[in-house]
Amino acid sequence: MANPPYKWISQRVRVREDRRFLTGQGRYVGDIRLAGMLEVAVLASPYAHALIKSIDVEDAIKQPGVVLAITGADLARDTDPIPQFLDLPRVRWYSLATDRVRFAGEGVAAVVATSRAAAEDALDFIKVEYEPLPALADPEAAMAPGAPVLHPDHGSNIAWQGAWTWGDVDGDFRRADRVVKTRLRWSRHSGVPLETFGTVAAWNSRLELLDVWASHQAPALSAQISTVLRFPSNRIRIHADLDVGGSYGAKRGQKQIALTTYLAMRTRRPLRYLEDRLENMAAGDGHGPDRVFDAELALSRTGECLSLRLHTVDDVGAYVGRGPLQIAKCITAIVGPYRIGSVRYSGLAVMTNKTNQNPYRGFGQSPHNFVLERLMDMAATELGLDRVEIRRRNLIPPEAFPYLIPSGSRYDSGDYPAVLDKALALAAYPNLLRFQAEARSQGRCIGIGIAACIEPSGANTAFFALMNPKHKTSLVPEGARVGVDSRGKITVAIGFASTGQSHETMVSQVIAEVMDIAPEEVAVIRADSLAGIPSVPPTGSRMSLMLSGAVLGAAQKILAKMKRIAAHNLGVDPETVEYAGGVFRRKDGSGAGLAFAEVALIAHTRKHQMPPDMEGGLSELYVMEVPGGGHLPDVAGRMQSYPAYTFSVHIPVVEVNPRTGEVRFLDYFAAHDCGTPIHPDIVEGMVYGGIAQGIGAALFEKFVYAEDGQFLSSTFMDYLLPSANEIPPIKMVEHVTPGPHHPFGAKGTAEGGYLTAPAAVASAVEDALSPLGVRVTELPMTPALLLALIGNGRRR
Amino acid sequence: MKPVNFDYAAPESVADAIRLLVEARGEAKIIAGGQSLLPLLNMRMARPSLLVDLARIPGLDEVRLSDGWLEIGAMTRHAVVEAHPLVRRHAPLLAAAASFVAHHQVRNRGTIGGSTAHADPAAEEPLALLALDSELIAEGPDGAAKWPIGAFFRGPMTTALADAQVLVKLRVPCRGPSEGWAFREISRRRGDLALAAVAVWLRREDGICRDLRVALGGVADRPVRAKAAEAALRGCAWEPQIVDKTPALLEADIAPGSDVHATADYRRAVARELLVHALNEAWERVGELSPHC
Ligand SMILES: Cc1cc2nc3c(=O)[nH]c(=O)nc-3n(C[C@H](O)[C@H](O)[C@H](O)COP(=O)(O)OP(=O)(O)OC[C@H]3O[C@@H](n4cnc5c(N)ncnc54)[C@H](O)[C@@H]3O)c2cc1C
Repeated sequence: MANPPYKWISQRVRVREDRRFLTGQGRYVGDIRLAGMLEVAVLASPYAHALIKSIDVEDAIKQPGVVLAITGADLARDTDPIPQFLDLPRVRWYSLATDRVRFAGEGVAAVVATSRAAAEDALDFIKVEYEPLPALADPEAAMAPGAPVLHPDHGSNIAWQGAWTWGDVDGDFRRADRVVKTRLRWSRHSGVPLETFGTVAAWNSRLELLDVWASHQAPALSAQISTVLRFPSNRIRIHADLDVGGSYGAKRGQKQIALTTYLAMRTRRPLRYLEDRLENMAAGDGHGPDRVFDAELALSRTGECLSLRLHTVDDVGAYVGRGPLQIAKCITAIVGPYRIGSVRYSGLAVMTNKTNQNPYRGFGQSPHNFVLERLMDMAATELGLDRVEIRRRNLIPPEAFPYLIPSGSRYDSGDYPAVLDKALALAAYPNLLRFQAEARSQGRCIGIGIAACIEPSGANTAFFALMNPKHKTSLVPEGARVGVDSRGKITVAIGFASTGQSHETMVSQVIAEVMDIAPEEVAVIRADSLAGIPSVPPTGSRMSLMLSGAVLGAAQKILAKMKRIAAHNLGVDPETVEYAGGVFRRKDGSGAGLAFAEVALIAHTRKHQMPPDMEGGLSELYVMEVPGGGHLPDVAGRMQSYPAYTFSVHIPVVEVNPRTGEVRFLDYFAAHDCGTPIHPDIVEGMVYGGIAQGIGAALFEKFVYAEDGQFLSSTFMDYLLPSANEIPPIKMVEHVTPGPHHPFGAKGTAEGGYLTAPAAVASAVEDALSPLGVRVTELPMTPALLLALIGNGRRR
Repeated sequence: MKPVNFDYAAPESVADAIRLLVEARGEAKIIAGGQSLLPLLNMRMARPSLLVDLARIPGLDEVRLSDGWLEIGAMTRHAVVEAHPLVRRHAPLLAAAASFVAHHQVRNRGTIGGSTAHADPAAEEPLALLALDSELIAEGPDGAAKWPIGAFFRGPMTTALADAQVLVKLRVPCRGPSEGWAFREISRRRGDLALAAVAVWLRREDGICRDLRVALGGVADRPVRAKAAEAALRGCAWEPQIVDKTPALLEADIAPGSDVHATADYRRAVARELLVHALNEAWERVGELSPHC
């Protein structure tokens, strides 16, 4: 289908956010300076698991510059526990440990002082007596009978367990000609933003409200603060005119925000808690999924996938933030891009002595896709089929859309074989195979990876109810308010802070398209939480669908109203009026027209020229709801979840040095279909960045805990992010299957790169080393791991 | 990650620096490029009462020739070591090693004296200095001191430098006509400290390896010489059978450890792998001209 002609949508207009970032005018929490602002430092536990026998902050309070020092006891007395996302009444979570520390780095006391240095100095004077306990750094050990229990009132380390069966799984496995089975390990890593988590909070005595600036991406933040502080949410003002220095899902900062707002309320002084790198890495609650998978795929002789059985044990850390809900997200796209008739999915969320797990780009979809694609490669090997061919045989065909998957979601649209073909063409696949064969004959280990991937977009979090029945979320709204002033100038207010995705550009493009003006003419502001714009921040690849939908809806409401005003003044029926090129006139072109600005002036100042009963002014809020949403899962755990499904295929080419285990990229090809791209540069940026993070996951990144629970990855010397040296140039091709749920045909695109790359790179590395008998079942594939696998392969 | 309070002094002579260090009675720290010290300060692993900055002392960053030796001031930045025409010509192995240190930003600030005094067992420049049999010169309250490099490193982050001694100069023998060299390293990412690194210096005459020194990094508590491998090759014709057997001889000279980046087994395996490549590269390089720039 051809790309419908748009004037501004799909065009590479100037990305308006770039200017402020490139000229050093980004405004982060670290840039907020309030008069008399104090700083906070937190004393970290050196133990992974210990009872706090006593704690004494008296000497700390006497140190120069210190205003206040508190412990967990203050929080337990004055606040409610931080809300958790699973139903765990007996797991009480506070910003500071109360009677027991549950991970190395957990805060036990906080000092407020005139500078961060003074606050850190004072930490040296806090006396804590610990009684060390045995620690758990392995989720399976934490499930074992007799394991030490982190939360004795809860009774076990299992925070959640559940299982769903969709279709005749046992029958399909019985009928299968072949079953492939594997155990896979997905290691803890995350988005690790350059900006650590920070909050500024100040009691505003003039307005009698609490002002908050936080580098967050947390839905329902006011409600959370309100719960913890027992303070009305309409007296908590969360500012959104703030740049957030990266998040990728991880920036929830529940306990950091709770602590900072508590201290601000208690001292009635403006203050800031900005994590340092050590705190962010060890105790920022920003680690992503940490899973062991047992996976089985039932196949026919010809490679047709019949059924999937998948069990996961997820290490969620010491308390339960939003992280564990990632177990259920994949139900949205449980079969990936493949026709798999039935699925059994079960899992456990297990608490260990680690910092909390939080979402990371894709909300658990990347590990799930890793599992599916590892199974496809295994199946190809065991059935003696080509790795591309087995995928092709199972891809959902274009004529099958909308396609209902066993777990209840209906995929909206796509042409997966076409995207696969584009990827193969881009990579000149037959040439690649020839090159590989030749290189192999010279003893080189060249690998060609292949992975396909579904990226659910639009964020319908109804699946939360699958893990916590009290979590009845059937609405995930996004609002936008469009205003036209008396001069006819347009301003759009949106309700969340930027985490770097160029939403302001997108908003201006949508307005430009509808109002037929240039994008530069549109002003975009970020309204605070009290301005009445329902918003859930950028999660689940939702904004290209949801925010653009909201802006479009509000703009159309405005335009409809302006048409009525114009018609009234032209003395005709509104139905006969159209708007184009800045003028309202009759569709047949006859008679005079009314300029946009004239209509605006009327709406603001000339009641006598307005239709009777019409409200004055031009200001419209539109709240976009998730298409197909509004429901909770049925009793079988089925639901229509995310509305729009993006698809990608990646083909990385690597060379592995079999004597050192080093992996080098020779090429990287990606084909991608996110419907109509609203801005091609932004789409490419999203995909490139996602691939870089995926390469990090595949080869470098891991939060390592020692067996005794000590955290070994607290700096960038130990936690390795890929740099420009490690990321190859990426060649990308677009395919456009317009999304049916969006007026311009857009779908989400923020996660696909990261969802696909780990699986694709694993496939490439395994392919390179397959002559040596290597199977990849664990990430990251460090040189030491690969050399050990090569050694094992040789011995076999 | 804020350092404890400290005083700061930037003396303009080595003598003043030594006086300040002595007066502080072991509570002071020298700061050169700060690339290793600042993280330690920020993490409060170092808590000095005084920092003595060597940056304002004239002459400490000088590079010059003296009687067949290349003399490099302790405050010479990695980037200068990497690019200086005298270093590239007379100690190309050292220039090559410097190019493996970190990234531009760190190389522009960090110094060769700082790297040597810091004595990270995986640092590159110390390896090259060891393979080149360099000398180190310090000044202290009791006058000047001199060490052959082999006597300088005492363990991880531990050297022969006493309190209040300032490393002022490194002396490297200039490259002779029949000498070859090679530097090889494996690190997780470009610019990271070595998981294993090998520096080779050798003299080849009439097809015979007259002398050689092989230094290994990242595989022991300090930079070490591959003594057994050296002995097997010294005085021999360059036969693949002999060269290929050297990896097996490393065992007695190395004692790698495990950390988050690699296991001891891995370090051992890749040190062996690098060794043969580095030896052959050094052998082939004899007679090749050094760049003059
Ligand atoms: C991101 C990053 C990556 C790095 N990667 C590498 C790498 O790949 N390879 C590598 O080798 N290094 C690496 N380093 C370390 C870097 O090379 C340092 O520059 C070097 O180790 C120390 O030199 P400096 O001049 O900065 O010394 P400083 O940090 O100022 O001092 C280091 C120590 O040496 C002492 N000292 C310094 N000068 C003298 C002197 N003249 N006499 C006596 N004592 C002295 C100081 O008191 C201190 O204890 C890296 C550093 C960073 C920040």
